[in-house]
Amino acid sequence: MRKIFLLTLISSLFWSCDNFEEDINVNPNLPTEASGMQLVANAQLALSDLSASTRGNFLAQYLAETQYVGISLYPEGGVSFYGWYQGPLMNLQAVIDAEDLEGSEGPVANQKAIAKILKGYIFWNITDRWGDVPYSEALKGSENFTPAYDTQESIYDNIFALLKEAESEIVSGSVSSDIIYNGDMAKWKKFSATVRSLMALRLSEVDPQRGEQEFNDALSAGIMESNDDNMIFRHLAEANHQSYWYGQVVDQNREWWALTTHLVDEMLPFEDPRLPVYGSPARATVTEDYDGDYVGMQFGDTENLSTEAYSLIGPAIYAQDLEIHLVTYAQALFAQAEAVERGWISGDAQSYYNAAIENSILQWTGTTEDVEEFLNQPGVAYDSSNWLEQISNQRWVHLYMHGYEAWAEWRRTGYPSERTHPQGAEIPLRLQYPDNEGFNNTASYEEALERQFGGTDNMYAPVWWDK
Amino acid sequence: MLMSKKIAFIAFFMSFLQISMLHAQDRTISGTVTSAADGMPLPGVNVVVKDSNNGTVTDFDGNFSLTVNETDVVVFSMMGFTTQEISVGTRTNFDIQMDADYQSLDEVVVTALGITRDKKSLGYATQEVDGDDLTFTNEQNVIGSLAGRVAGVQVVGSSGASMGGTQKIKIRGVNSIGGGDQPLIVVDGTPISNANFAGSAGPDLGNLGQDVNPSDIESVNVLKGPAASALYGIRGQYGVIMITTKKGKKGVKDIDVQWNSSFTIDKVTNLMPTQNLYGGGSSQTFRTLPNGDPYVDILVDESWGPKMDGTLVRQVFSFYPQDPTYGQLTPFSPHPDNIKDYYETGYNLNNGVTVTGGNENTAIRVSLNDTRIEGIEPNTFLNRNNFGVNASLDIQDNLTVSTNFNYATNSARRPSQGSEVGANYLIQWFQRNLDMNRLRDYQYDDGTFLHWNLRRPSTATGEVTNFNPVYWNNPFFEAYENTTEDRRDRFFGDLGLSWDVTEHLELSAFVRSDTYTQNIESHRAFGGKGLPGYSIGKYQNREMNYEFLASYNNSWDEFSLSANLGGNIWDRRYSYLSQATVGGLSSPGYYNIDASIDRPSVSDYLLRKQVRSAFGMVSLGYQDTYFIDASLRNDISSALPEDNNSYWYPSVSGSVVFSEFLNLNALNFGKVRASYAQAGSDLSPYTTTMTYGVGAVYNGITHLAVPNSLYNPNIEPSFAHSYEAGIDLRFFNNRLGIDFTYYEQQNKNQIISLDLSGTSGYSYTNINAGLIENKGIELALTGRPIETDNFSWDMNFNINHNKSMVVELHPDINVYTHGSTTYSSVTTYLNSYEGEAFGSLVGPAYQRDEATGQILLDDNNMPMYTESNHNFGSVLPDFNGGFLNSFRYKNFDLSAMIDFQGGGQFFSRSQMLAVRTGQHPISAAINENGVNIREPLEAGGGVKVEGISASTGEPVTAFVDAKTYYNNYVGRRIYEDWVIDASYVKLREVRLGYTFGENIMQNLPFQSINLAFIARNPLMIWQEAPDGIDPSEVSTGSQSISWYESGQLNSVKSYGINLNIIF
Repeated sequence: MRKIFLLTLISSLFWSCDNFEEDINVNPNLPTEASGMQLVANAQLALSDLSASTRGNFLAQYLAETQYVGISLYPEGGVSFYGWYQGPLMNLQAVIDAEDLEGSEGPVANQKAIAKILKGYIFWNITDRWGDVPYSEALKGSENFTPAYDTQESIYDNIFALLKEAESEIVSGSVSSDIIYNGDMAKWKKFSATVRSLMALRLSEVDPQRGEQEFNDALSAGIMESNDDNMIFRHLAEANHQSYWYGQVVDQNREWWALTTHLVDEMLPFEDPRLPVYGSPARATVTEDYDGDYVGMQFGDTENLSTEAYSLIGPAIYAQDLEIHLVTYAQALFAQAEAVERGWISGDAQSYYNAAIENSILQWTGTTEDVEEFLNQPGVAYDSSNWLEQISNQRWVHLYMHGYEAWAEWRRTGYPSERTHPQGAEIPLRLQYPDNEGFNNTASYEEALERQFGGTDNMYAPVWWDK
Repeated sequence: MLMSKKIAFIAFFMSFLQISMLHAQDRTISGTVTSAADGMPLPGVNVVVKDSNNGTVTDFDGNFSLTVNETDVVVFSMMGFTTQEISVGTRTNFDIQMDADYQSLDEVVVTALGITRDKKSLGYATQEVDGDDLTFTNEQNVIGSLAGRVAGVQVVGSSGASMGGTQKIKIRGVNSIGGGDQPLIVVDGTPISNANFAGSAGPDLGNLGQDVNPSDIESVNVLKGPAASALYGIRGQYGVIMITTKKGKKGVKDIDVQWNSSFTIDKVTNLMPTQNLYGGGSSQTFRTLPNGDPYVDILVDESWGPKMDGTLVRQVFSFYPQDPTYGQLTPFSPHPDNIKDYYETGYNLNNGVTVTGGNENTAIRVSLNDTRIEGIEPNTFLNRNNFGVNASLDIQDNLTVSTNFNYATNSARRPSQGSEVGANYLIQWFQRNLDMNRLRDYQYDDGTFLHWNLRRPSTATGEVTNFNPVYWNNPFFEAYENTTEDRRDRFFGDLGLSWDVTEHLELSAFVRSDTYTQNIESHRAFGGKGLPGYSIGKYQNREMNYEFLASYNNSWDEFSLSANLGGNIWDRRYSYLSQATVGGLSSPGYYNIDASIDRPSVSDYLLRKQVRSAFGMVSLGYQDTYFIDASLRNDISSALPEDNNSYWYPSVSGSVVFSEFLNLNALNFGKVRASYAQAGSDLSPYTTTMTYGVGAVYNGITHLAVPNSLYNPNIEPSFAHSYEAGIDLRFFNNRLGIDFTYYEQQNKNQIISLDLSGTSGYSYTNINAGLIENKGIELALTGRPIETDNFSWDMNFNINHNKSMVVELHPDINVYTHGSTTYSSVTTYLNSYEGEAFGSLVGPAYQRDEATGQILLDDNNMPMYTESNHNFGSVLPDFNGGFLNSFRYKNFDLSAMIDFQGGGQFFSRSQMLAVRTGQHPISAAINENGVNIREPLEAGGGVKVEGISASTGEPVTAFVDAKTYYNNYVGRRIYEDWVIDASYVKLREVRLGYTFGENIMQNLPFQSINLAFIARNPLMIWQEAPDGIDPSEVSTGSQSISWYESGQLNSVKSYGINLNIIF
């Protein structure tokens, strides 16, 4: 009797012990399936970060710090690129590698094409900032935890090829859930070609022949033709998707950024219509009857700082639903003006230049009124004897708040030439790698340092195209 | 007396099982058993006729009666007392006085799964702490009260200001590379959650283990190594804290009522020192209003401003039109105690009552405890109530049903801590000139809030137009408006049935449960910094254990056998729903998710996990001298991949009581022991399959993300192998005891969450990798150096040394990042490197000249610094321990608990910031010229730097601008000066008590009264760390390893009285 009791008790306890409820280890809290465009959309949401950066704007010397002067003094220190790989790039790679995408969100080929174009575009930004970075062995998850660093040259080759491949694979039919171009594949194609043209221009010093060829390839593929083709990230007027600057200035009450003297000096003498958008009049100069003056702050100043005496960034710049123009028609026009002067393409550099400024003003102010007058002023009016400086300076004005791109163009052309060396510090020529690459990817990291800088990470070593 | 009663109960219970047959008897003897030391009656003494099963136990008043034969020898025995054998003869009245047997060796200890064992038969180390020793100053967190009391146990606590904050415990160093190696807490056989809902910033909600009512605790037994905890399987792999609660007594009907009250006053202590020469601002000249009046730079939250020399200036209050000083100039003078003035006197009132009773077949104990704490920070409190019942009922002679029921309810509003959180920003960013008492009344009559950190007045009008605070709220606004409240209802307990099938075989079955609901809500008010908001979370956890155990005990001649076979199903269901408003609130004071301006964020989570286990254990003894144990356990975990979810692990241990055959005079007991065990581990559910991340919908477009964590379907259980050997010695009639243990543990192929290079597309993954090796020694000394009729001195000293090495990590990756934190763009890390000690601090250091080791200086003579990859060495201490002394003189008792630690280190961001923001005296020191470093270089001021110029290679000695030096270099980008040594010696608890004599008691309706003065945290005897940082309280909420300090709550001293009444 006892034995039966015992056996029953034990067996009831151990009955079917290794069979759990089937779904006990299935995560009920997160989806196990994702569609191609859901992944692409998530990657697109990261695009605003390409420009929304204080560091980029300090490197381009658009903004000066009104308090806690720090990053604008160009201190040594790594900057992480992990977010780009783990975030948007991995999403895009998942779409590119997927074998079971569904066509319910539009042609699979187009979903993949968008993923490839964005991957190329983001990698272009990454390599321009850091130089050699992991590319061919990156984004492979458990297949490779320690990706090697590819040379910038080979990354450029790969991006050109990837973008061309993507453009060629586009089929008719739009896709849904596209935050950037609302599924318009023609615009994606133009965007891709425009990126290629800008990349080609980056080669002007290191390999002009290749640059010329790629530039022409891009043009014949069809680049942007109006501001409607601009690659724009649109923030929303709600906290979940608001702009970085709104969070800083409005939510956090941080009046930390003033326009630099460099910027104001480049714009104020010509009554540049974009200046009232870029910044606010210095509060100290405002009276009841007077709107106030635009006063730039000396970049790198650490004493006698003020939020009253200088022009802070304007309300349009920190709007909650800010539109961030990442790649623009105006840029493409500046590029063509430069290409004409370089003899890469035929045409009239001046008309490209004028159109570039006109479209920039349209983009920033919403109107082209008075543009002609603006263009006719000496100093603004095109002067082909000084084409590189003039194009570069006006492009720098246009690229306001997209500091990293402006910094890249400065590195390539050396213009604008008026620059400040805060507390004696030169302007860095690249970003240092994140500290933890030395922990997580030691051998590849050290190999990359050895190859490029003889062993120590160096923010003053030019990247490959920066000759 | 509590001690002896406790022992009595266990003895009683044991003896109860033995009595089943009666001999033929011819007459009855009776008497009273008392303690020789104090004459108090001894309940629960075994009174047994030798070599028979005839016996009884004394009742609550020490009385017994027993029917015996004239030729019998009666044995009086009780744990903790010397056994007496008395021939019956013709006597009928036996008034026996029993002598205390100090540290009796026949101690019975409660081991894994509640199996009681003779301590001398154990082949592994356990250490028991008596409940009274834990609570002599009425410390309310049982984990915290273990600090320094057990060899090999390290407790890192939190400030008393947190009121029930986190107390972290580690047994024998770090055994898990992930650092998540908290021991299992078991109360009367029921494993309970010791989870922690605190983040590294915000209110420290504390570890849930504190729901155990300290005054219910009879004893705590710490099972240190895997051999001791083997029967708990994976859950016991990091050791087990076994808590046994007080119980009622079966026997003669009796009722015992006890009342305990304590009241303490709590005061802030160990505030970081400040300079009081320079006030708020970023330069030493005042800014001026349009009318020429100087004003304090209210936008600046640093103290690099002008000298506080009484100059008449416009201060922040004068810009509020509602303020009586509006428009007025007031003297710019120091307020040296402005941070201290923020704190209040806290108090802690604790009342507990217990009722214990029983009759022949029933035992019951009911306890009720009420704790009310008002914190030292304004508007903070903790109220806790515990209610406990345990009862057992003999349905038949051999069938017992029993239950333990514990209910705890907590309700608190706790202060926040962390970097720049709550009031702890005060030492990090503040103006030395601010009068805290002026800030206290933080709202003007018209509803406007008073803040101190505003945008500057207009250069045109001289008025402040925007009264929204810029970086900081008034700390009182923070305390009264931006509050976080938490509430928890907790139940744990069991229902059990045990059946003595035969004299030797017992079957028992238990259903055990631990269930809690934790609510946390926080408010951010209108009128402060940032958007107003509200968040609420409800967290529910239910853990069930279904348990069966068969125990067989028998002995034949010289052999004894104990065998146990059991099974367990552990089932956990944890869910939460937490929500937060986004984009602000719709109207002031309306705290509801419905008030969210934009789509609120919602997190809705369910976790389920089950582990099914079977286990067996055999223990064999020979001649009461040689013992050997073996156990085997199988766990099947639902969190592991199906093909790989079952695993077995064995343990074996043995001991030899060599004093049984070696007759040495001074040595009255000696035992050597050794053990080997394997312990397995699994992982959290849902990590072996792929899921996508979800973000807030964008304009109707949904989006999903590949997660940063790479799932791994091939994960396997991992095993730890541990070896342990030790020796236990007792000398001079047990007046001196030595326990020594050496252990080694190899944690192989651990399941670790490995940080990956983000370029792989993921930030971390779970893999099987690595080998962590732990080696250590533990030494516990107990002694009674002095013992006379009136005076006794007991001491208990323990120390342990542990070394944790990361022997292997991963074929491709040899650095493991445990954690990182970024401040001012500088990231610091806690890393483990292959081949080095566990857990190194990593951050930027001074760049040094290779040949001379001197600091390299740049062209501005500022120190140069490395990338954030300098290894400052391990955070783990070299040794720690404790020293408990108890004295008794007549009716007085005095106890003092000291704990100490040698080595270990952490980063102090509080001190770094205090220096960077010009608040710390370092930032206003006198230099080699005898001039304040803040004075201009021309005037002999400046910080003296010595080093080697990086560009010329020449030695340099120069003076540099103090603000630049500290603000941009040493206080911001170089962490070398902020590595703080964690060594300390601390007087943690003191108690001086008086027990009122019996002659007084005769006139009062009480059995005894004890009144004591108690002090908690009265004195840091010595610390290597600078003032203002308590290295014993560097517990940042959920950080599993304490490696940086930032905005910790200030330390608290408590003094008070404790009153204990037995009715």
